[in-house]
Amino acid sequence: MRRLGALLAALVAGAAGAAAEPARIGIMLPLSGGSSIAGQEVLSGVKLALEEANAKGGLFGAPIQVFTEDDEASPTKATTAVRKLIEGDKVCAIVGTYVSGVALAAMKISRDYKVPMSSGGSTAVMVTDANEPGNPWFFRAFPGSDVQGRQSAVDTVEVLKKKKVAIIHDNSNYGTSLADVFKQIVLGAKGEVVAVDTYNTGEQDFSPILTKLRALRPEAVYIGGLVGEGATIVRQAAEVGLRTQFIGSGSMMTDKFIELTGPAAEGFAVSSMFEPDTPNPVGKAFAERYKAKYGINANVHSALGYDSMSITIEATRRAGKCEGPAIRDTLATRMADFPLVQGPPGTTAKYDAKGGVDFLIGLAVVKNGKRSLVTY
Amino acid sequence: MRAFLIAVAVLAALALLPLAVAGGYLLHVLVVIFIFVILAVGLDLVMGYCGQYSFAQGAFYGIGAYTAAILHRDLGFGFWQTLPSGIVAAGLFGLLLGIPSLRLSGHFLAITTIAFQTIVYLLLTQWTSFTGGQYGLPVPKVGALTLFGWELFRVETVRDFYFLALGCMAAAIGVAWRLAHSRIGRQWQAIQDDELLARAIGVDVTRGKLVAFVASAGLAGAAGVLLAHYLQGVSPDDFAIWTSATVVAMVLAGGRASIVGPILGAVLFTAMPEVLRSAQSYKLVIYGVVMILVVSFLPGGIVGLLRRERRA
Amino acid sequence: MYTLDFALQILANGIVIGSVYVLVALGLTLIFGILGIVNFAHGEFYMLGAYFGITAAAIYGLSLFPLLLVGILGVVLVGLLSERLVFRPLAGGDMTSSIITSFGLAVALQNAALIAFGPQPKLLRTPWAQIPVEIGPVFMPLQRALIPVIALVLVVAVHVVLRHTWTGRSLRAMAQHGTLAQLYGVDVKRVAVVTFAVGAALAGGAGVLMSSVFLVQPTVGNMIALKAFTVVILGGMGNVYGAVSAGLFLGIAETFVAGYLTNTLRDIVGFALVVVVLLIRPQGLFGRAIDRA
Repeated sequence: MRRLGALLAALVAGAAGAAAEPARIGIMLPLSGGSSIAGQEVLSGVKLALEEANAKGGLFGAPIQVFTEDDEASPTKATTAVRKLIEGDKVCAIVGTYVSGVALAAMKISRDYKVPMSSGGSTAVMVTDANEPGNPWFFRAFPGSDVQGRQSAVDTVEVLKKKKVAIIHDNSNYGTSLADVFKQIVLGAKGEVVAVDTYNTGEQDFSPILTKLRALRPEAVYIGGLVGEGATIVRQAAEVGLRTQFIGSGSMMTDKFIELTGPAAEGFAVSSMFEPDTPNPVGKAFAERYKAKYGINANVHSALGYDSMSITIEATRRAGKCEGPAIRDTLATRMADFPLVQGPPGTTAKYDAKGGVDFLIGLAVVKNGKRSLVTY
Repeated sequence: MRAFLIAVAVLAALALLPLAVAGGYLLHVLVVIFIFVILAVGLDLVMGYCGQYSFAQGAFYGIGAYTAAILHRDLGFGFWQTLPSGIVAAGLFGLLLGIPSLRLSGHFLAITTIAFQTIVYLLLTQWTSFTGGQYGLPVPKVGALTLFGWELFRVETVRDFYFLALGCMAAAIGVAWRLAHSRIGRQWQAIQDDELLARAIGVDVTRGKLVAFVASAGLAGAAGVLLAHYLQGVSPDDFAIWTSATVVAMVLAGGRASIVGPILGAVLFTAMPEVLRSAQSYKLVIYGVVMILVVSFLPGGIVGLLRRERRA
Repeated sequence: MYTLDFALQILANGIVIGSVYVLVALGLTLIFGILGIVNFAHGEFYMLGAYFGITAAAIYGLSLFPLLLVGILGVVLVGLLSERLVFRPLAGGDMTSSIITSFGLAVALQNAALIAFGPQPKLLRTPWAQIPVEIGPVFMPLQRALIPVIALVLVVAVHVVLRHTWTGRSLRAMAQHGTLAQLYGVDVKRVAVVTFAVGAALAGGAGVLMSSVFLVQPTVGNMIALKAFTVVILGGMGNVYGAVSAGLFLGIAETFVAGYLTNTLRDIVGFALVVVVLLIRPQGLFGRAIDRA
């Protein structure tokens, strides 16, 4: 009799323990250093998703536990951070990271440990290309940079109606691949590429390049690179007297960019997956909630942070347990109905064999100092 | 003899450590320490014994690491081939840097090594087509170590790599010790004490200096290859001037011209950021302050302090 | 495109950049020439000057010239503290230790700035950014055009101080022969203090000027320090006129390479020149042959 009682007690205790075991999710982003502005914006979206989920009861009956690590945009630090999250904090899924080179280094480790990773902003194709087709461990709920570059070129020719272009890009893999795809499309549309110039990441002085371009009088200039240099290029172009339509890349469409560039930002265009005035109802609702909570406008960073985190939480819920392989399988095959805040109306987390999601990217333009989507 | 026994005891303790410790994190920190020990001990040869200030250790470290990555990419080399290649490549560049040392000394030499370090760093970040630029290059794991087709053991996990790194570090310390206590080591000290006098009594100063640079660069190259295979990739920021300065600080803080000193220095400066992790943004400020304090108030390093205590 | 107009524009830009290099390198070479200290934290003086200027503008809304004053004074204070706390304890000892301690100082200052000012890049906005200046075919905002002018004023001021004041004479005496100068009653401590103050002031001033042209982040000191070292080596360590000539030369060389060849080579130009100079003529293009043993 006593033994039965003890057994029952153990079962009850075990069941109660299992029900109260909180899910553990890791977050890895550049929170200090050069990319930290973007990193913090992504984090704000992640946090909103987390709060909303916990307000609804969390996962498995307990609030979700998150562990945040700063990878400082360094592949070496990211490797340490991932190990710490998986071995020390025992997370079953990771949301991260922003810089593609860092994401590539980190996903190799998390793949070895069989923990799925959802992109914290990294767009470079090389990261999802590192996935074995049909067996992805790195997931990106939005199109890769090559698709964005292609769309930018198409919109430049067809929407903005500019055919004589120049290209400035940074000499990383990212910038170079964007420039290549842009040039290809423009030439294919019988346009003209008057110059292609490269700069080193971190460059501050673009006056020689811009002076050269001024003499060539392009109708549009495409910038393939990161936010900081993009802002400097547009600002210094105005100082040098170069008047042209600038098209940016990546995540240059943010309020911070407009602030840094000043009045020269007017008319600046970037292919953008999300703006607060998006026609996507899920996205619009998110923009309102974000504004209510933080008091500032959401942008593509906060939107993708929100998406990556919500997807991860939902996948964990559907998997039923905080376990890497189970969550990974759910992500890969059973999330095709989950709506995203990014993209046009009706976009869902339908991952392809390499762990990416494809949807149409819109064109956003700075009008009167504010960002607005002109196509969708 | 006593020193040798202590060294063996410490190595044995380190070798048995993974059996007692479960976490990969501690082993990971130790692997990084081992790699820095190799760097610091190498630098001690040229800076501590031979007296030639070199702020280029980070560059040789990087040359070793990138040689491994590039040879893997272009020729499919595995660890057994990249290790000697990295050592040789770094050693050759060490020879290159040794040449100015024949004509310059003191500040001027230090600045030249800094210029060399910076050029290497800039090439690593900006020669994107060759070095992968800011994002670097991927490197495979060490995998199986085979000898004549026989698989000796596989290096897959952090634990396996720990043993590999421990072995490499022991070998590096052994090589450095032998060099420092051989005839060339004594010649180095003669060069440091009084170069003119050394030359007068027949020391081949040219050979001495060049060998010092080559030896220290070669060891740094080995450390670089290890890092490349451990992180499964190389990226330029690990090999910047800051790394060189840290290694110099390790040697100065630990105690120059004493193989033990750089080891202590490496442990101190690698463990510190981990210990300070909780201090977050303040940790690097503290790090910088510690560097200043240690170099200002302990010119003989920790070893010098211990020596003084023993005598007192 | 390869016309005289283009070349003149490139030249003008080169002079602007070169003026900044001159200011930073001048401070560095004075500190080395007079005190024998290689100061790796010099770039941080530049960075802090920029931040002090931007902060003062944000709080008090001052215009450019008062900002310049505030920035310079702030950095001079930091320089004096550094001299007293970090460099003076090492005086008389192994000078290469000063390289390491100045590295430690650089890291501490850089990260302190990160904590104090945050990682977001900042820019100094003045109304003069929108006023264009056109000298013939050369087009430049007033903000940029002022930089070589102010730099010239500062350099002339330093020159006057060095040549025509008692303080200046003691500085020069220290540079030529430290021990002899001391025997003749030159106060070494006072010389150290003044030298650091002047060096920091020049770097800080450069920082304020450039904060309206380039984005300011805690890491901007790194590259400018390396460029300044390049200039100092090219011009001869301790040589004031060498620093001025080499600084302008480097700025112009960089912009010409960027304009006519490719922008990616621009940073390497300087360092490659340094290697060549160090191998062939280590005392710099203008330096005296210094005792190298």
